[in-house]
Amino acid sequence: MDNNKMKQLKEKYEDIPIPTELDEVVKKALQKRKSKNSGFKWVAGVAAAAVIFTSSINISPAFAKSLESIPVVGSIVDVLTFTEFTVDEGNYQADIKVPAIDKLENKELEQTLNEKYLMESQELYTKFMDEMKGQKAFGVDGHLRVDSGFVVKTDTDQLLTVGRYVQETAASSKTTIKYDTIDKENQLLVTLPSLFKDDSYIAVISENIIKQMKQQMKEDEAKSYFIASEEELGEGFTEINKEQNFYINAEHKLVVSFNDYEVAPGYMGTVEFVIPTDEIKDILVSNAYIK
Amino acid sequence: MFNRQPKQEKIIAEYVMQNKESFYRLAYSYVQNRDDALDIVQDSIQKAITAGTLKDIQAVKSWFYRIVVNTSLDFLRRRKKVTVLDDTTIQLHSPSHEDHYHDMDLEQALNSLPIQYRSVVVLRYFEDLKIEDVAEILELNINTAKTRLYKALKILRDQMNDLHLEEVRHNG
Repeated sequence: MDNNKMKQLKEKYEDIPIPTELDEVVKKALQKRKSKNSGFKWVAGVAAAAVIFTSSINISPAFAKSLESIPVVGSIVDVLTFTEFTVDEGNYQADIKVPAIDKLENKELEQTLNEKYLMESQELYTKFMDEMKGQKAFGVDGHLRVDSGFVVKTDTDQLLTVGRYVQETAASSKTTIKYDTIDKENQLLVTLPSLFKDDSYIAVISENIIKQMKQQMKEDEAKSYFIASEEELGEGFTEINKEQNFYINAEHKLVVSFNDYEVAPGYMGTVEFVIPTDEIKDILVSNAYIK
Repeated sequence: MFNRQPKQEKIIAEYVMQNKESFYRLAYSYVQNRDDALDIVQDSIQKAITAGTLKDIQAVKSWFYRIVVNTSLDFLRRRKKVTVLDDTTIQLHSPSHEDHYHDMDLEQALNSLPIQYRSVVVLRYFEDLKIEDVAEILELNINTAKTRLYKALKILRDQMNDLHLEEVRHNG
């Protein structure tokens, strides 16, 4: 390898173009620590929102694609794509799929969930449109992308878990996911507090998660979690919420889920912890779901 | 109390701002595309300000390079699981994608180096770091780093020779 060749290679390396966004990305990342908990700062006019929403349903070709069934084999309850909102205007793109639960005997529960799904999707859509209009009005050459949809996380004879995800990409990207677990036999929505005898689950599960975080970080240097420590008051993970996002997997294990940036840096994405049943068996109401 | 060591954070922030282009190029040399490289820079900064693993402020340079390298490798590892096929498909379908490289042979030779060899070449020759620093960043002992560098150069040389032979054959 002569020096000339190496020099040529080095020049190539130095010619790698630096994107104009780099500066912004770096600055934002440096500030992230301070604004870790701040969500979107926008307020939508509800009336205006409703108008935009209805009109876009009617003119959207995506509406034709709606009611595209996702067959759930071997069970009666279905999850369908109720409708889909799409926006594709240059750097502004949105794809929001709205799920709907179908054939649940408990119609009230079905309706409550479906209304919630539709409303959340409407909100997301309105937020996107507002943000886009705002940026355009100020002549900002922005990038905005929203992808939302759903996954069937667990589907056994007993349980159905629907996870709805939202991935928002501006200069950085952020993913959130929310789960709903339905007891198909009893036609009930399973909540986290309902699984346990009392509130002690918060401490028990949190402690186990911190243990798992530490273990994972020890085993793999690439992993990193925010764990609150004594010298960093008010920062990092201390305990789960009472209604922490969760689902029960097909192996009957409780899985606790966190969104981007909630307990770990962005590169870790959304993270999940499977809680060993042994740790919580004493405080479970029953072994109906979790074994 | 709230900000553990504001001074240290400030030093990191300044250092990152000054050297952001280097970090971007380094990340790019691994992932070979703009968006992923930007993501890696962003994640590396996040990791740096939350990790708190910097013991000696003098070592900020090799410490931050190490985070960028590890984040890139981690990314490649994850991507490998998902899009092995995609990469090939993309390459097949867009032969003009990398038009702006005039000397593809050289570029290819470098990119075809196994990743652990590429890391040493990039850090030592493109980032102009001392071999001691390269060793520290990659968490190798100096002798291993040196051996890797020689091995990398040998592989490159052999590949270039092959390429030149081919050229001669074509031209002759």
